[in-house]
Amino acid sequence: MIYDCLIIGGGLAGLTCGIRCASNGLHTAIISGGMNSLHFSSGSIDIAGYNTKGEIIKKPFDYLKTMIKENSAHPYAKTGIPGVRESLNFITGKFMEEGINLNHNNDMNHFHVTTLGTLKPTFLSQESVFNTDVADIANSHNKIAILNFKGFRDYYPEQTAANLKKNSMFKDKEIILGDISLPYYLNTEKNLHEFRSIDLARIFETERYLPRIAEEIKKASGGASIVSLPAFIGIRNYKTIRSKLQEMTGKFIYEIPSLPPSILGLRLDNALKNSFINLGGEYIAGERVVSGSIKNNQVEFVTTRNSGNIPVQSKFYVLTTGSFFSGGLAAGFDNISEPLFGLKVKGENKRSKWYNSNFFDRKSHPFLGFGVETDSKFNPVSGSGKTIKNLFCAGSVLSGYNPVSEGSGGGVAVSTAFKCAERIIKEIKND
Amino acid sequence: MNRIETNVIIIGGGATGAGIARDLSMRGLLCVLIEKNDIASGTTGRNHGLLHSGARYAVKDHESARECIRENKILKKIASHCIEDTGGLFVTLPEDDPAYHRNLIEGCKYAGIEAKEISIRKALEMEPNLNPDILSALVVPDGTIDPFRLSSANILDAKERGSTILTHTKVTGVIKSGARITGVECIDLKGRKTEVYADLVINAAGIWGQEVSALAGIEIKMFPSKGSMLIIDYRINNVVVNRCRPPADGDIIVPGDTVSLIGTTSKEISYDRINELTVDDEEISILLSDAEMLIPNVRHTRALRAYCGVRPLLAVSGEAQGRNISRGIALLDHHERDGLEGMITIAGGKLMTYRLMAEKTADLACEKLGIKKECTTHLVPLPGSEKKIARKSRIKDFTGIPDSVVGSTLYRHGQRLHSILTKNKKNYRVICECEMVTEGEIEYAIKKLEVKDLVDLRRRTRIGMGPCQGELCAYRGAGLFQEFGGSTPEESVILLQDFLEERWKGMKPVLWGDGLREAEFTYWIYQGLFGMAHMDEVKHKKKKILNKDILPADAKTDNKKKKGK
Repeated sequence: MIYDCLIIGGGLAGLTCGIRCASNGLHTAIISGGMNSLHFSSGSIDIAGYNTKGEIIKKPFDYLKTMIKENSAHPYAKTGIPGVRESLNFITGKFMEEGINLNHNNDMNHFHVTTLGTLKPTFLSQESVFNTDVADIANSHNKIAILNFKGFRDYYPEQTAANLKKNSMFKDKEIILGDISLPYYLNTEKNLHEFRSIDLARIFETERYLPRIAEEIKKASGGASIVSLPAFIGIRNYKTIRSKLQEMTGKFIYEIPSLPPSILGLRLDNALKNSFINLGGEYIAGERVVSGSIKNNQVEFVTTRNSGNIPVQSKFYVLTTGSFFSGGLAAGFDNISEPLFGLKVKGENKRSKWYNSNFFDRKSHPFLGFGVETDSKFNPVSGSGKTIKNLFCAGSVLSGYNPVSEGSGGGVAVSTAFKCAERIIKEIKND
Repeated sequence: MNRIETNVIIIGGGATGAGIARDLSMRGLLCVLIEKNDIASGTTGRNHGLLHSGARYAVKDHESARECIRENKILKKIASHCIEDTGGLFVTLPEDDPAYHRNLIEGCKYAGIEAKEISIRKALEMEPNLNPDILSALVVPDGTIDPFRLSSANILDAKERGSTILTHTKVTGVIKSGARITGVECIDLKGRKTEVYADLVINAAGIWGQEVSALAGIEIKMFPSKGSMLIIDYRINNVVVNRCRPPADGDIIVPGDTVSLIGTTSKEISYDRINELTVDDEEISILLSDAEMLIPNVRHTRALRAYCGVRPLLAVSGEAQGRNISRGIALLDHHERDGLEGMITIAGGKLMTYRLMAEKTADLACEKLGIKKECTTHLVPLPGSEKKIARKSRIKDFTGIPDSVVGSTLYRHGQRLHSILTKNKKNYRVICECEMVTEGEIEYAIKKLEVKDLVDLRRRTRIGMGPCQGELCAYRGAGLFQEFGGSTPEESVILLQDFLEERWKGMKPVLWGDGLREAEFTYWIYQGLFGMAHMDEVKHKKKKILNKDILPADAKTDNKKKKGK
């Protein structure tokens, strides 16, 4: 059996590419190790948040022109600005089919509140983080409540409040801090005080607890009409949970992404996986590609941990293995490499040039910009210097951009993956 | 301005200063200990944590060797919760001079160190990761010692006996009355000034003692020698592994807690650089390739951190090499030496002899103050080391608490475990999973152990010292820090940033392989998710206050000149 398209890596890029291919009827598979970066993301999708000086970008699509002009090797230069828009429209539509509305602020960036009370610019957010009402409500009410689940060790609302107060937008607001608890749950065998966001999300998903939770929220939030909680109000049926809670409390429920696992990100991951599978895609989880064979400038086959000697073959391959953390790139003692195919990478060989002296340097770190070099079609170059025509690369395995300092990780993942899918669809059609 | 009166002022919160505070407190004197940073934050906390048997010095420096073995035996009794009696090996590699092995056996015999030759087969059984090509092996009573715990236990004892501890407080000047020093002026992090008056001032500031004495108009010349070390993320050896050759770079691997440490390089540096040392790539390469000769799988193991310290050697005459300068103890009575009454300086020595140094200093102090009390620090166990807790009572007192939690708390705090752990589920929930640090331990440290920031908290508890270097627990630690009243919520976020920057210092030199992966993940969380770099730039105010006075005299004038232009 030969796939039309085999995607290595099941993160935001891999899933986007898979959905696009599968929705066009391609026989598509995704091989995924399991978790991906959505699980520790904000659950919002950024396109361009900051300029090179670290200043906040208001209109990201306008700024893309500058980005491309300043850095012709940027992935956005290869997708093109209309490509970015098309890909985001596509993926937003798919999310909507899965019950997740991603909102934007009239084509401008909006802010989401971080757990430390800083404000980060982003482009697309779930309703509990941004919708057209949230700004109005925030502006017209002087009280906001920042609540926590009592004893939750992964969130400290006092810090959110303290830094939020320093922001001119919140300077004059009264911030109410409070806890909500579920006393009968305290007798659980597990230590409730060690619950992670995902454990709490499961409690919230149990609908019979909701009236009690709503009472607790009302009690703790005083007269505030916006109530923020660390993001744990359900994973799969969060939309129902949230609207019920809003109905019961009469308050706007806002979510702040806390320490991983990110519930906001998990929702996106689940939605995309569902979408891919419903379109007939083959999602192979808990599996890992261990080697790839290149012959005549073509990927011949790959082998996986579980397939042993049996080669897995496809007409086209897409590499969406991410950067160092997820293993898409590897850092040796004094070299950077792409471990699966030995592709040509852009990076420094002198280790002292990989990083900056301060961890929180506004210029970020050079290693975040390292990655695979590709041509304008996202085809990479092999170790022997030849372009590999049936292999495409997308997402953070790519070089030429810094997802964190630019605030562009989501946008690059979606748009590059979409572009790769489009090329593959076209080539298969032409065949 | 605050005013404090006391019997003795001790400047410096390293092991020596802490030991002096304890010793004098036990002899009934009240002390004020002033430390510009944190307890054990200087040279004390920046070595490989070896509980020397003395064998390392047995060939060349019999006096040091004898001191070491004597103190080794005392510390095993009084500081049992700070020590692991691992034992040690001296192994000869094919590259080494086989004669040194014989010399070492003789030297050990002469110094009274029990050294036993064992077969290579036996050595490999003890230490399976060892290079199988070794030519000979010698067992010595080396062990490991945690300098943070040791210093903290001394401080705790002094404090419980009535002494005052002022950390993050810098001495800015001395108060003189004629040819006598009667006190010191100091300033804390928030810029608050205090005058402390005492009958005697003890300069125990180690390498920084040169600056302290300069405040009193006395010249002491220190000879800074930098030593770099590397931490491996797994405990790859059971016992201390020494290379059987004259002391040189990369000749020891010390197991400690959950990690192993490769020591050490030695490099002469100029005095004005002592506050800004970093480990360079060349040192990393040296340490790795030398350690690889002792334990070959070192290079395939993740390097966790690299760090360096400055040996507090006192320049005697014109000797040139760091390793050749005497590591012996120098106790200076400035009345005799410089005609200045009311001040003594203790310098030189090493972590192993901190108690002996404290004893000698306290003896002189008592003599000068006319106190007739004998030293008892070699007899009375430190707080936490009083007696071994039997496993049975452990089970009875802590039923329901995970054994790993009880075990780690006992390991770090000894008998004080009973002041830390309760059966309250919130109390024993784990905050740092790598090192099994609980909320109760954090609360205890913040309230009882002179913790002013998250880096201090790490030294007391090991929070953030494991494989992930504080990925999740740094944030939780900051949250609890303000919850327990250690800071305001706003300050706690700044402390969090400082903590992560401090972790970064040690991660940078070893940023390859899994170290880089981990750093990337931490960066995503704290910058990508939390937007830490975009916080308002209010930070580092406190550091400025302290650094201003640390600058060497030349640098200060330079700054003024620049401003003038």
